[in-house]
Amino acid sequence: MSNRVCHFKLVLLGDTAVGKSCLVVRFVRDEFFEFQEPTIGAAFLTQTVALDDATVKFEIWDTAGQERYRSLAPMYYRGAAAAIIVYDITNPDSFAGAKSWVKELQRRGDTNVVIAMVSLWEFGKNAGNKADLESRRKVDFNEANAYAEENGILHMETSAKNSNNVRALFVEIAKSLPKTIQQPEREAFPIMPQKQESRNCC
Amino acid sequence: MNMNDADWLTSGPQNSNAGQQQQQQQQGWAMPPTGTGTGTPAPGQMLHQQQHQYNPQPQPQPTMANYPPRAVSMTSSSFTTSSSSLNNNNNYGSRTPPTAIATSNTNSTNYNSSNRSINTTPTPRTTMKTPASTTSTNNNSNNNILVANRAADEETEDGRIRNREASTKIRDAWIYKQIRSRQDEFTQYKQGRVFIGTWNVNAKGKDESLSSWLCADWQQHGPPDIVVVGFQEMVDLNAVNVAVENKSQSRSAFWIDRIRATLNSRQNTQGDPSRSYTELAVKYLVGLLVCVFVKSPHKPRVKYVHTDSVGVGVMGVMGNKGGVSIRLQFYDSTLCFTCLHLAAHRENVTGRNADFANVYNKTSFEIGSEAVQEMIRLGSMSQWAMGTASVGVPDHDLVFWFGDLNYRVDESIPTERVLQLSEAGMLDELIEHDQLNVERAAGRVFHDFEEGKLEFKPTYKYQPGTDMYEQRPDKKLRAPAWCDRILWLAQEPGHVAQMNYLRSELNCSDHKPVMSTFLVTIKDVILAKREGVYREVMQMLDTYENNSLPMVSLDKLNLDFGLVRYDQRVTLPIVIANTGEVVAQFRLAPKVDENALCKPWLTVSPTYGMLIPGEKTEIELTITIDNSTAHRLNTNREVLDDVLILRLENGRDFYISVSGQYARSCFGMSVDELVLYSDPIRDVPLDPILRAEKYDLNSKAAMCVPKELWRIIDAIYERGLDERDLFTALGDPDEVCVIRECLDTGAPFGKFSVHSVAEVLTLFLSNLISPIVPVSIFPTLDIDAQNIQMFTRKFLEDMQPIQYNVFIYIISFFREVLLHREKNRLSPAKVAR
Ligand SMILES: Nc1nc2c(ncn2[C@@H]2O[C@H](COP(=O)(O)OP(=O)(O)OP(=O)(O)O)[C@@H](O)[C@H]2O)c(=O)[nH]1
Ligand SMILES: [Mg+2]
Repeated sequence: MSNRVCHFKLVLLGDTAVGKSCLVVRFVRDEFFEFQEPTIGAAFLTQTVALDDATVKFEIWDTAGQERYRSLAPMYYRGAAAAIIVYDITNPDSFAGAKSWVKELQRRGDTNVVIAMVSLWEFGKNAGNKADLESRRKVDFNEANAYAEENGILHMETSAKNSNNVRALFVEIAKSLPKTIQQPEREAFPIMPQKQESRNCC
Repeated sequence: MNMNDADWLTSGPQNSNAGQQQQQQQQGWAMPPTGTGTGTPAPGQMLHQQQHQYNPQPQPQPTMANYPPRAVSMTSSSFTTSSSSLNNNNNYGSRTPPTAIATSNTNSTNYNSSNRSINTTPTPRTTMKTPASTTSTNNNSNNNILVANRAADEETEDGRIRNREASTKIRDAWIYKQIRSRQDEFTQYKQGRVFIGTWNVNAKGKDESLSSWLCADWQQHGPPDIVVVGFQEMVDLNAVNVAVENKSQSRSAFWIDRIRATLNSRQNTQGDPSRSYTELAVKYLVGLLVCVFVKSPHKPRVKYVHTDSVGVGVMGVMGNKGGVSIRLQFYDSTLCFTCLHLAAHRENVTGRNADFANVYNKTSFEIGSEAVQEMIRLGSMSQWAMGTASVGVPDHDLVFWFGDLNYRVDESIPTERVLQLSEAGMLDELIEHDQLNVERAAGRVFHDFEEGKLEFKPTYKYQPGTDMYEQRPDKKLRAPAWCDRILWLAQEPGHVAQMNYLRSELNCSDHKPVMSTFLVTIKDVILAKREGVYREVMQMLDTYENNSLPMVSLDKLNLDFGLVRYDQRVTLPIVIANTGEVVAQFRLAPKVDENALCKPWLTVSPTYGMLIPGEKTEIELTITIDNSTAHRLNTNREVLDDVLILRLENGRDFYISVSGQYARSCFGMSVDELVLYSDPIRDVPLDPILRAEKYDLNSKAAMCVPKELWRIIDAIYERGLDERDLFTALGDPDEVCVIRECLDTGAPFGKFSVHSVAEVLTLFLSNLISPIVPVSIFPTLDIDAQNIQMFTRKFLEDMQPIQYNVFIYIISFFREVLLHREKNRLSPAKVAR
């Protein structure tokens, strides 16, 4: 909630059908489709998050999780300020996939990239008919948490289906982005030339 | 202290509407008795000023900062605590213009500026009399605001000029305009009372209660929320006092003590701390003093208290004249109080005007960038001040300026008559000739400020200690004047209403004190709601921006070419349609670290294009297997599988998958490999492991020549070597394909012309991965008749067994063919070719 807008590139990575697109669609359009088509390509959308001290405008790349497109991912995570790596708590393979994405990013991505690991999880009372997700849980929350902590990355369980934690996730990421060094200095309008004070941030 | 229990002014009856907002009711914001006759100031459409410079000339507002006309939230007879109920459905640009409200306190001043706020849409004015100057041309350079001053415009290759900084700022400006236009939705408006008192004490002062001045209307209205008191001439304005501060400090302490004692007297507080007043700030400069007290329970909601002083006296900086100011944030409104002492002498009107402008321009508060941010967020300040840490006078919601302004009754009325009229209380003529009224109406000073009607006698010059104008023979006879005045400036019309404008009869000075109580509208921003509005605005913008991204649809993303044969072109189309709302440019993009758009066996046409909304076009993808790709495919170093990236400029990427099965062919292979397989080549797996399982890859088990070669030559024999133009005439292209397919699949040959078969032989030989005669032993030019025998022997000895076989086999065949030269007209020269 501020007058300063910082632009950040954010990329979503993770195996196919873990819910990347659903997460983005929930965040950007506040919608959810039970039958979200697999992403064949890379979808681009923007969305703004207002913080107390700055406004963060995410330029989001939602990538294709299918294995055959994996080699194309660097095109999107290159230069990204943040990455959300998604896995599905009912699918241990997707968690292994997430770990390998973390490794790849640590190896090849920007050193300053903010990484968040996210899994789909319906919790709380509005879980609806997918409440059984918890019973099908195959990835232990604590295990994932420990892994995230070890690697210094954000870890959250969200639900695109019932909105849980979706906005919070992006707000968390926005908060942890370095808003001071990211962009060139901006100055005041020259209406008060004698009082101009250069500031960092966007 | 829990603000819900705060002791807000309670003397007035609660307005029944106040119940809408429970919280407000609990806080007990001051309600004046209804029907007190106070009025709402004319809605002078005060806009936020972008410049600190006070310019007495009317100036249009820079267009960028124009806010929509706002509805007036109060009527003159009912001050309610209505919060967000107004204009909830407002859309920017469609807000109700200020409604005309006749007010009692502007009738006589006839002053209402309208020129600060030239809106994109004309705003109906309620001005009683429009100053003639509003039509004056704009000659103010501040009008030309540069949006970006750091980043230079950049010209892109397409010739467009971009400036990211400017564009971001313009976007920000739009966002804040939206938010401001909806501030009623997130602001709770509370009513509070501000008392302003001003007194030129003429370096006098005794230890007396000031309650007849400061508390005059408490009986009627109860104690105000904020008490602001200003003094002039606390000390003699002699050179010593101007230069040395000691005296000012002690006099200032003296007066602060008097004020505190008066406000917090036992009688007033009755021992209840919540009825007491807390001093917020004091600022003095030589004879000038201003101080602000707030009712103690409000203290936690006061922030960013800052002071400034501007001297305009001797040499332009010494403080015998000037202004001292205090600004603060009260709840979420910003308030600025300035106590002034302007140039003296009846004829020196221009000096006073200049002093005013000087103080107005120079006063600024270093409140810090955080406070500035907050002001912008609260909608109290324009976004243009972004990046600054200081604010000027016009950057406040509510501004009160008061003091000994020294304006007199102009000289058109003789001194004696002024005296007479003053004593008789016949004020109308004097008001008309009051210099301040005249100057303001002409737009030369106190631009945009408002003042209430003067209903009290001129406050100067009295014989100290009496209630008589100074007329002693030993003193100069002066025309009484309203030197002591209180004016205000509100960003939102209707947010300040004057409840009274009075003078006190304290008499130790040659001036009478003046005071006024204002009913002010204080903003209390509900942050959660404000954030909600912000979010909605951003969401709307995001939606527009996302919808204006280019979008196309592709009829398919997977192209399966099926079985693809050697030397066969297969083309499949994709239909790309612009389904978005903007022009879409598409192009194929190479993959990371690659230059080519796709594999060499694939061609795409076109590789780029542009579509207007609704338009569609076809992209053709063609697979061609020639001998260079066939080699790689045959050796499994390449498969028919590729992903193309179709990129929309400024938009998303699509992946187009292309796949096919390569139909294995003996064309584009080596004889060494061909001799290993007894089965038709099509049946030989590409996968090396499967191949190894099926065939003995030991060359000892191999055939002496490829069966395909044998089959071709056999077929030529069968069709006869007598055919005219054998090997020089071209075969039928379709037959060539079928023959090749028969070779690859092992199917028997049908009825083909010998020319077609002969062409297949030529093609077969020329498409072998490596020539039968290795380059290394290729005959050189130094062969002549003498050494040819020896050379030939060495040549044949150097050949690998398979190549040797094939070579001999072919040579034998052609020798045979040449035997029939009469019939087929082939010559050794033609064969060699
Ligand atoms: N129960 C539940 N199901 C979800 C949630 N998010 C996604 N899904 C389901 O998972 C399916 C796949 O989600 P997508 O968003 O398409 O997955 P993706 O990661 O984008 O897949 P690719 O585009 O192939 O990489 C969707 O069709 C949803 O039905 C969620 O939060 N809760
Ligand atoms: Mg997807």
